[in-house]
Amino acid sequence: MSEDTFTTSVRIAAPPAEVFPYLTDSKLVVRWMGDWADLVAEPGGTLALDINGIPVRGEYLVVDPPHRLVFTWGAAGNDLLAAGSTTVEILLRADGGDTLLELIHRDLPPEELPRHGVGWGHFLGRLVVAASGGDPGRDPWADP
Amino acid sequence: MSTDAVLRALAEPQRRRILTVVRDGELPAGAIAEHFDITHQAVSQHLRVLKDAGLLRERREGTRRLYAIRPEAIESVRAFLDDLWPSSLDRLKATVEGDRRATTRRHA
Repeated sequence: MSEDTFTTSVRIAAPPAEVFPYLTDSKLVVRWMGDWADLVAEPGGTLALDINGIPVRGEYLVVDPPHRLVFTWGAAGNDLLAAGSTTVEILLRADGGDTLLELIHRDLPPEELPRHGVGWGHFLGRLVVAASGGDPGRDPWADP
Repeated sequence: MSTDAVLRALAEPQRRRILTVVRDGELPAGAIAEHFDITHQAVSQHLRVLKDAGLLRERREGTRRLYAIRPEAIESVRAFLDDLWPSSLDRLKATVEGDRRATTRRHA
């Protein structure tokens, strides 16, 4: 796996047809990610999601319910992670009555030449992604 | 240092630009402000937020204030970063399964 790709998976005790709307319906998405969403889940449709004050913007590329979803993902106003500059693919596979959900986040900003031992550009770009999905309310690293 | 404060500090595009400006080495506030079209006061406020979040170190030299990046702040949130999608998907799982149980109960 290349360094600019992140992948993870989760098992959900519901069939793909039940899970899929939680990825494409504005009202359902904000129940697990972000505080405002305007999703037009069709190829070419826009994805707008505000989380912790960060405007995540993208475009749906593939909408193939209930098994596959591909959309671009970036933060408006961030040079390192321009709106739509990275790609997220979500695959849902039925397993018994469950769904195995795999998420692949591609094209994260490449690491700039390390300066002071810190791949700053790489980190900052990815951090904005993190902040977009982060939940400060449950931050285990927060000060007591 | 709070990861929450770091993320909030980074949510503002001008503050991310400030970090890019100082990443090569320590700079006085005035030199940082020259990179921006906003007022020096606005830059000063951004510098304070970044300093309070632990992203910048401030040092006084005579009447000047010099600012440099604190790489350890970056490292501290790396772990948080690595947890981004997993924690989001955990919430997705809890939401879907919670709804499912509620629906089943209603139909029981």
